[in-house]
Amino acid sequence: MQAFILAGGFATRLWPLTEKRAKPLLPLAGRPLISHLIEKIPEHIPVIVSTNAAFFPGFQEWESTVPLNRHVRLLVETSRSDAQKMGALGALAEWITQENVQDDILLLTGDNYLGFSLTHFLSAARQGVPLLASHDIGDRGKASSFGTVLVDPAHPTSITGFEEKPKEPKTSLVSTGCSLLPKDVLPLLLAFAADHPDNVGGIFEELLRKHIPVDCFAFEQPWLDIGSFSSYLEAHRLLVGPHALLDPDATLDTSACHGSVAIGAGSKVRGSELADCIVFDHCDIENCVLRNCIIDDHCVLRGIDLDDQMIRTGTVLTRS
Amino acid sequence: MRPRLVVLAWLLTDLLLFPAGYALAYFVRVGWIFSTDFPFAPYIGVAAAVAPLWLAVLVSTGIFRLTKPQQGLPNLLALLYAGIVGNALFALTYYFLNGLFFSRLLLVEALLLSTILLRAWHLIFERIGRGILARNPPAFPTLIVGVTRESGRLVALLRHTKNPLQPVAILDGKGSPEKEVEGVPVLGKLDKLEDTLRAYGITHLVQCSDIEQSLNLLSACRARGITYVLLPSVLGIVERDERTDSLEGCVVTVVAPPKKSWRSLGIGI
Repeated sequence: MQAFILAGGFATRLWPLTEKRAKPLLPLAGRPLISHLIEKIPEHIPVIVSTNAAFFPGFQEWESTVPLNRHVRLLVETSRSDAQKMGALGALAEWITQENVQDDILLLTGDNYLGFSLTHFLSAARQGVPLLASHDIGDRGKASSFGTVLVDPAHPTSITGFEEKPKEPKTSLVSTGCSLLPKDVLPLLLAFAADHPDNVGGIFEELLRKHIPVDCFAFEQPWLDIGSFSSYLEAHRLLVGPHALLDPDATLDTSACHGSVAIGAGSKVRGSELADCIVFDHCDIENCVLRNCIIDDHCVLRGIDLDDQMIRTGTVLTRS
Repeated sequence: MRPRLVVLAWLLTDLLLFPAGYALAYFVRVGWIFSTDFPFAPYIGVAAAVAPLWLAVLVSTGIFRLTKPQQGLPNLLALLYAGIVGNALFALTYYFLNGLFFSRLLLVEALLLSTILLRAWHLIFERIGRGILARNPPAFPTLIVGVTRESGRLVALLRHTKNPLQPVAILDGKGSPEKEVEGVPVLGKLDKLEDTLRAYGITHLVQCSDIEQSLNLLSACRARGITYVLLPSVLGIVERDERTDSLEGCVVTVVAPPKKSWRSLGIGI
């Protein structure tokens, strides 16, 4: 088995945080999001991280921080912009073809946080049967943004239907960025990817259309799809909790922190009030009131109040 | 370089036209001769000496801003205001150097003729200057942020009037199906901001939507020395009744419904 992490997106909704950084490299509770994912993959499984040319240097830097006992390899798409990208399924298919992959594939989405154990997930798999991790988000309205999963009420582990971003969802059980694709279904995946290179969820519809059984691994642990400002902050609140999480190289002087606050390496916060904020590395914040803010690297903020803002790297805002 | 040369040419021509207006007034008043009763040399000498001071007053009115249209009444009033100051300076300087000026009517005629001459020249020069600045590559390549009807109208207006700020690219925070607006390419979302600023050598950025990104657009502009412009409609101000004011020294944007009252004269709250 090999793990394949999809990390080739350009994350335009999270601009400016993703201006020079891929979404899986965003810090979450003091570590890149993808590191949380890697830690959950059993050590014996080699990991392929598929990214694009624009974000490749960032992943190279991250790769140097991965423990030596992990087998992680970067795979680079040639695309440099959102318009050129080959699509997630396209990237997977290309890798399978080029490297003649004949293994089961643990397919993961690099911008998801999974609260459950991947060991449990893999142990729930039946030989040769695709397995899809699903989570009940409890709100059919919100489910229309995801792939929804219909299961047989008599056999809740058996998927009977899959709809990608339905307008009127029949369920609030949604597919997450975690699935297992046995090697037997790879030829079908390649054929489907040729016509639908950007439709990862569509492969499950295709499998069901071809009467290939797909199993459901429903879990109740937290799952977060970090695709927007609000979901990123939500993930931050969940993982950090009601604490201030300071990097050992960060300083916090005469300041008050409320809710979940994370302060990155080399950042200095003085005489300020922070509530539910993520401060990236090497920022200088003095006499500020920041609420629900995400401050990118090397920002200098002095004497200002901000609510619900993502501030791009290198921003200097000082009240004169 | 082009904008500086245009402004320099404008200032120099104005500097020449001010005494030229006075000379014209002299000949209109005295006749097309050099009168010995009304000596021309000291008259034109004083006008030429006062011209730089008059020009300084005119510069202070902001009339030489390249993006400002010249047709409006405020510009005419600015010329008249500077003309009156110049006229007074002329009379005063003439008095100190040569004694009382010989003709009060000539002073009035000099004021009117110099103002008319300069007004006409400013209207002509605007067309010349805009032609020079707007031709490809434009002197002020401008990035528009936001694909909205408001931004479409602005792009059309800037192109139609050959404004020195020429839109060369458009980005939209949430992406847009449009490929171009009024012939200006829509390049994608804001993730292309840095590339666009660099590739097009952007000098001005006009934000027409995506209010949540104001700080970040400002930050990008500050980092690159780009002039940031915000359409009031981004803040929901669409009725053209806004103005910039000051509250105890703090600059504020004021929106007040237009009323025929003292306020229209700048009096009251």
